[in-house]
Amino acid sequence: MKSFKLKIITPEKVFFDDETEQIIVRTTEGDIGILAGHENYVADLPAGPFRVKINGNYKIAAISGGAIKVSKDAVTILAMAAEWSEDIDSEWAKRSHEDAIKRINESKSDYEHRRAELKLKRALNRIKISSMK
Amino acid sequence: MASSNMKDIKRRIKSVESTKQITKAMELVASSKLRKAKEKADNAKPFFNTLYDTMCEIVKEDATFNSIYTRKRKNNVTLLVVVAGDRGLAGGFNANVLKLAQSRYDELSQNSEVVILPIGRKAVEYFEKRNFKIMTRYENISESISIYGAMSIADKIIDVYNKDKIDRVELFYTDCISPLVQEEKHIPIIPLDIEVDRSNVSLTNYEPSPEAVFDSLIPRYIAGVLFGAIVDSFAAEQAARRTAMENATDNANEMISNLSLVYNRARQAAITQEITEIVSGANAQE
Repeated sequence: MKSFKLKIITPEKVFFDDETEQIIVRTTEGDIGILAGHENYVADLPAGPFRVKINGNYKIAAISGGAIKVSKDAVTILAMAAEWSEDIDSEWAKRSHEDAIKRINESKSDYEHRRAELKLKRALNRIKISSMK
Repeated sequence: MASSNMKDIKRRIKSVESTKQITKAMELVASSKLRKAKEKADNAKPFFNTLYDTMCEIVKEDATFNSIYTRKRKNNVTLLVVVAGDRGLAGGFNANVLKLAQSRYDELSQNSEVVILPIGRKAVEYFEKRNFKIMTRYENISESISIYGAMSIADKIIDVYNKDKIDRVELFYTDCISPLVQEEKHIPIIPLDIEVDRSNVSLTNYEPSPEAVFDSLIPRYIAGVLFGAIVDSFAAEQAARRTAMENATDNANEMISNLSLVYNRARQAAITQEITEIVSGANAQE
């Protein structure tokens, strides 16, 4: 299978920088699979799962919001945070889930509510993905 | 007389020495914090550079592009985001950036309204003391700022901007060019000023639409700018403190050597005097 260059960048580090055969990523418009030679494409990413195929095997990671950019010679994913499913601290994710629910119930303004909701989505995404190995 | 004078000098040497130990320790702490902050700032760069490039490409490809973040509004209310340190003892670090912000404030406040968003205790104190209009204050966040922390500040700013309560946002911070050189910076954030050359356009498919992607990148971009500014300011603060403390340690060393000289002279004089007294006493007995 033809491979292409994939780079996943977060504000803390370059999370992934290697050749890959296929990726499947969830955009705001739905899941999209990308193979080598894809047209130029840019989409917004909510918190969601991300699959990358390396040597025929899929690896799953959790992405906490960002954007994907496909250009002629490379695919770049800008993620606020990214973790492989096996690296997710599910205890921490559960605590953050409870905290998010608490914040939603206690939120006084639109702004607080919106932020808590995003936090809840990130936590749920992490919990879900940590169970998909 | 001579012995009490010597005691005083001895006491002063001791006090200068203990001050020197403190300044030396602060110097070491500052240089280790500086290294960490520099690393954090460097790690964040690739992310925000790519983000900015993507935004530029969107503007470039779409000749009819229009977003509320790039449109200029009438300047009625300006928000000044001022990043300073949480602590003093860092040479001119806090004073320099506050002075720059103050001069911009004076300029703007003549014919429009200005609101301040201070980050860092020194900035909060400065603007509160002068009774400036403050939007939200942030203290003690610089050292452990995460991207989510910066995101929350950015969201707040965007929230207020979208409600038309502010028309412009400008940022003041200190750039840590090198451990020895820091420079105060003043940059406009919103409206975004993206200049592109439309000569080499490649077609890209945007989902859901160029505007939607652009508008969702904006909060992240602003968070990135703020994150960079806060981390850079923190690095600059540590660099300034390290230089200031290095100078203080050098001064302490110089003071100690001067005082030791004075002390030794006094001791010598006391001994000489004692000998003279003994000799003259012995002479008188003969």
